[in-house]
Amino acid sequence: MVGNDIVDIAKAKKESNWQRPRFLDKLFTSKEQQIIHRSDNPFIMVWRLWSMKEAAYKLYTQINPSRFYNPKRFECEIKEKGSVVNFKNFKCYVETKITSDFIMSEASLKPSKLKSEVIQLKSRNIKSSSLFLKEKLTNSILENFGIEKDKLTLKKDNYGIPIVEFNTNKLYVSLTHHGNYGAFVIA
Amino acid sequence: MTNDDLIAKLKTIVAPYIQDEEAFKNLSEDTDFVSDLKINSANLVDIILDIEDEFDIRLENEDMEKMLDVKSAMEIVNTKLSA
Repeated sequence: MVGNDIVDIAKAKKESNWQRPRFLDKLFTSKEQQIIHRSDNPFIMVWRLWSMKEAAYKLYTQINPSRFYNPKRFECEIKEKGSVVNFKNFKCYVETKITSDFIMSEASLKPSKLKSEVIQLKSRNIKSSSLFLKEKLTNSILENFGIEKDKLTLKKDNYGIPIVEFNTNKLYVSLTHHGNYGAFVIA
Repeated sequence: MTNDDLIAKLKTIVAPYIQDEEAFKNLSEDTDFVSDLKINSANLVDIILDIEDEFDIRLENEDMEKMLDVKSAMEIVNTKLSA
């Protein structure tokens, strides 16, 4: 079980304004807002926390199939080793990678190293980006498991949660894309 | 406000954030913000803030939970406006 989320820094800068009134209060707890305001780079901290919440949400809904929008309740604790996100009784561990171009978080039930593969997307079209990313994921599974292409299916359930099936096996995966960047991970 | 008026207002609000023109053209009560309009989840909060500004209402966390499609947005706005 795994969830990931990527933020294209340039796109976030252009298309979102974290300083607009009530923005922070809608998404972040008062503790998180303090962390943001005390940070050397509040903009990066906003999107770091956001990607942690999104990755945790994806993991949570993989385990508890459902769909909702409640980022504020996914409460982040940033630690040097193994940051944590709590949602009600659910707890997961999140690792985040930050470069000058993107912020990528991956959530899992046990502390673990990042496994997501980041892909640079050339197309601006969201549909072709999504297809490209799915193809990369499929190819990676075909290589790793040595199976034939026609035996493998990647589908989404009614809640939009992806799952890979081949023969009688099921693989949990997570896909994310934003702007020029995408990432996939196989649990 | 009639349902048609409300849908028209919501359509104007979501317009800057949509990434699927075809689904946007055919926007109806059944349109989903994320799976149909391909709106980025990071922009859902902007839509919520825009709705608050447009209708002069405030949405609580519980209201936000369901804000994933046009129908839910309409229900929430109607409930807030009649309160």
